[in-house]
Amino acid sequence: MALNTLVVDDSSVMRSIVIKTLKLSGLPLGDIWEASNGEEGLRILQDKWIDLALVDIHMPVMDGEEMLTRLRENDQYENLPVIVVSSESAPGKIEKMLKLGATFIHKPFTPEILKEVIVAITGVSNEETD
Amino acid sequence: MKKQIEKILIESTVRTLEDLCFIYQEPELKDAQENLPLEAAAEVKYRNDDFTGKLLIESRGGLFLAIATNMLSNDNPSDEQKKDALGEIANIICGNVVPSLAGGGREYKIESPRSFKKDELLKGKKQEKPLSEITLNFNQGRADIKFFVDGYSDTKEKKG
Repeated sequence: MALNTLVVDDSSVMRSIVIKTLKLSGLPLGDIWEASNGEEGLRILQDKWIDLALVDIHMPVMDGEEMLTRLRENDQYENLPVIVVSSESAPGKIEKMLKLGATFIHKPFTPEILKEVIVAITGVSNEETD
Repeated sequence: MKKQIEKILIESTVRTLEDLCFIYQEPELKDAQENLPLEAAAEVKYRNDDFTGKLLIESRGGLFLAIATNMLSNDNPSDEQKKDALGEIANIICGNVVPSLAGGGREYKIESPRSFKKDELLKGKKQEKPLSEITLNFNQGRADIKFFVDGYSDTKEKKG
């Protein structure tokens, strides 16, 4: 099962890093879409089939928390696997994201860590990975 | 606090450059790296209820290009991309250091990183004294990182 993935981060450098790390992880990847804020991310979700979203917290226009809140209000996306990728460490903020059904990965991260989390939350089997 | 911050600063910098840029620390600063000219710098300001300050990272010896090249898998990154990449590194290191300032569980805010050309940094106003300052040698250059806490002084630190 190839994972169509959405990467949402206001930093183009960080989006490149996340995508590069995804590719290095050996996971079966389909189309990869990018957005620079939560609002763009939600627009892409309306138009494209997405299996997995990786989202930053701190973004202009619409931050990760608001994006995830709006996402979960829509039945269509209540179970969409979402990974929050952030350098955030404040427990309150992390807890909010976890309560919205996201998994949290702290920056910096390795392809191995990313793969482990994605396998756990998407159900993609280890046989499908490199 | 100073020793703790220094330890976390070293660990965070090494781990960030290794995990995100595949740039690896070398144990000793070689003679040739002692007097390398400054290439560029990035600064990130932070604040929480008790502290405000900033983290400043200065790159030397080709590290500025290497960070962007490795992060972006692009042999010819633009100046903008190089600045963004260094800024992102500063952002991540700061995000790993600030939580240890006032103990766990405290909320804090980190601002967007700001990049400097070397001339801008060199002719800037007199620099305040950092709480902690480290120099790390890597296989692709050298990083000098300074962590500032506003209002910090050695006297306050000694009084504990």
